[in-house]
Amino acid sequence: MKNVIEVKHLTKSYKTNKAVDDLSLTVKEGEILGLLGPNGSGKTTTMNCILSLLKFDNGEINIFGKEMKPDAYDIKSKIGVVFQDVAVFDELTVYGNIDYFCGLYIEDKNTRAQYVEDALKLVGLEDNKSQYPKQLSGGLLRRLNIACGIAHKPKLIFLDEPTVAVDPQSRNNILEGIKKLRDDGATIIYTTHYMEEVEILCDRVIILDHGKIIASGTNDELKALAKIEEKVTIEVPELAPKQLSGFEKIKNVSEVVYDNGVLKIVYRKGKNNLIDMMEYLKANKIQYNKIFSERPTLNDVFLELTGKELRD
Amino acid sequence: MIVSKAFWKIVLKNIGSIILPTVILLMFGTISVTSVDSTAQYEARKPALVIFNHDENVGLTKNFIEYLEENATIKTGYEDDDRLKDALFYEEVTAVIEIPENFHQDMALGHDPEVKMRSSAGYVAELAKVAVRRYLSVAKGYSALHLSEQELVAKVDKAIANGVKTEMKAAVDTSKYAKASRYYSFANYTILSCFITIICLIMSAFNREQVRKRNLVGAIDIKKMNRILLRNCCIYVLAAWVFYVVISVFVLGVEVVFTAQGALYAVNSLVFAACATTIAYLISIFALSAGAVNGLQNVLALGTSFLCGAFVPAEYLPDSVLAFAHVLPSYYYIDANDKIMKIQQFDAATMVPILLEIAVVAGFCVLFVALANIISKKRQRIA
Ligand SMILES: Nc1ncnc2c1ncn2[C@@H]1O[C@H](COP(=O)(O)OP(=O)(O)OP(=O)(O)O)[C@@H](O)[C@H]1O
Ligand SMILES: [Mg+2]
Repeated sequence: MKNVIEVKHLTKSYKTNKAVDDLSLTVKEGEILGLLGPNGSGKTTTMNCILSLLKFDNGEINIFGKEMKPDAYDIKSKIGVVFQDVAVFDELTVYGNIDYFCGLYIEDKNTRAQYVEDALKLVGLEDNKSQYPKQLSGGLLRRLNIACGIAHKPKLIFLDEPTVAVDPQSRNNILEGIKKLRDDGATIIYTTHYMEEVEILCDRVIILDHGKIIASGTNDELKALAKIEEKVTIEVPELAPKQLSGFEKIKNVSEVVYDNGVLKIVYRKGKNNLIDMMEYLKANKIQYNKIFSERPTLNDVFLELTGKELRD
Repeated sequence: MIVSKAFWKIVLKNIGSIILPTVILLMFGTISVTSVDSTAQYEARKPALVIFNHDENVGLTKNFIEYLEENATIKTGYEDDDRLKDALFYEEVTAVIEIPENFHQDMALGHDPEVKMRSSAGYVAELAKVAVRRYLSVAKGYSALHLSEQELVAKVDKAIANGVKTEMKAAVDTSKYAKASRYYSFANYTILSCFITIICLIMSAFNREQVRKRNLVGAIDIKKMNRILLRNCCIYVLAAWVFYVVISVFVLGVEVVFTAQGALYAVNSLVFAACATTIAYLISIFALSAGAVNGLQNVLALGTSFLCGAFVPAEYLPDSVLAFAHVLPSYYYIDANDKIMKIQQFDAATMVPILLEIAVVAGFCVLFVALANIISKKRQRIA
């Protein structure tokens, strides 16, 4: 598969603060690449550099096999961008806004009218066409923001945290829409600090911290980096200290925490972990209410790699 | 093109904010026209004179006083000088005329006795001065013929009687332009208010950080886009200006608008409109919010209108205010309107000061554009 974007040794500093530090990445045609990182890790800066919105200190950026420059209009015409902050005209209606931003790329009126309708449908704003941005709820405004960025059916789409401060229903709607864009053939770069979104959406993930790539790969590849297999949470109303220390001796258990009637057990690699656990509970006549088991998340991977949580 | 389309959509969205200043302009223009056109107003505008006669009331002196009585209302009871000064200031009295001792004899002998005159400001005073000067110059003209005083009086009387009508007609003409002056001076408020509102709102909408970024990633040259925006601003400004001039035909009448003075008013206002546009352009660099634009627009349009005499004639304003007003383009625009009103004949002496003031306003345009360019270079953060 072709590389749509190639970034080599990108470095960008704000005074002494290195926002992006010798970053190299490639994006393949037709994939959704997730850029995951905590606040201030350099996601937006990376994106702005790739888009030639920012001058960078060092590095090389090629898109569709050509060097990206501020006046590379042939490249720009195939790109759609959804910025982190809502960027629309307050004075134009929902329809007027999409029509305007689409019109920066598509001159033909009829084609544009069709594209605007498609975009409205994609984000589910058909009923809000003639409303002004001020009349929209936060979630709908985010959807409008997305529609404005993708209405011209670009081949390459950048989305910078498009779901921040959006209710769960709008979020699902947005994520579905993005999948549809990929299925229609677009290549997508999706920036976020929500690991759940990355897990649902992205074919490949790059984890950033302090402007550096600390890990990359598919979800499963990344999770393999976490040295844990699963996490088990058990509600145990009462537990003697002796019983507690007994848990640590069970096979594969790496960590046990008991707090406020909740027992948390972390396992290293291994099979049949839950069965051993149940047997121990039975043998020691420990009363318990609920048990649930989780696979490791990207947060665990991040924790493993940096020693801190993705979200504070 | 999509940018122009968005431009005019935003103009339409904000049309409400430009209707009010325009309606006020129309009301202001119409009211002043009807009030000055009525005969009652015309009577009231007859000069009010106070005469101190140090001569005997005989011969040419008597004739002169009769002439003044015919053309003006003579007021008495102003022997106290302070009272007189107040009366002049409030235009209760238009002018004070002092006829010197031996006036009638000196005149007949062909000497040039000095008639002292003090007057209030405004065109009625100008009118009174013209009337007095006219009588004196006619009298002086005939005195050169060394006629007897009796013959002199008869000749002057006849000549003046023939001329009086034209004198009065000139008075009506001036008042006609007074309305035009007020209309155009008031337009200072309307032009500034409307242009700043529209241009700033549109330019700020396009230059707001986020929208600007989206424009920058678009497949359009941002410089070309700015050119399109500027071109549309100019179209808007020209259209609005043409509208105000066309409206002035209805408000002021054909006989005022289609004259040399009318053309001068139009040119003066066009240059000022250009200046208002550059002010708006300068402000729009800061990409202010709609609320801030509205506030600033009010301060500038109302402020300059008060300071420079668009609402209240400049001669009523304190000197300190007028001194400050000299740094504002509105001052030169409004002052030029006043000067156009007072034109009696078209010669270099009257035209040069008017053209100079128009040139000063044009100079302000250049200044504002230069400032705007310097500031926008400094503010360019996104490369
Ligand atoms: N205009 C700027 N001037 C100075 N420093 C900046 C500027 N923009 C970003 N930075 C710094 O660069 C670093 C990376 O910021 P960036 O916005 O790229 O992070 P991010 O990953 O997008 O964060 P978030 O999740 O909050 O959007 C941060 O340390 C930030 O403080
Ligand atoms: Mg960001």
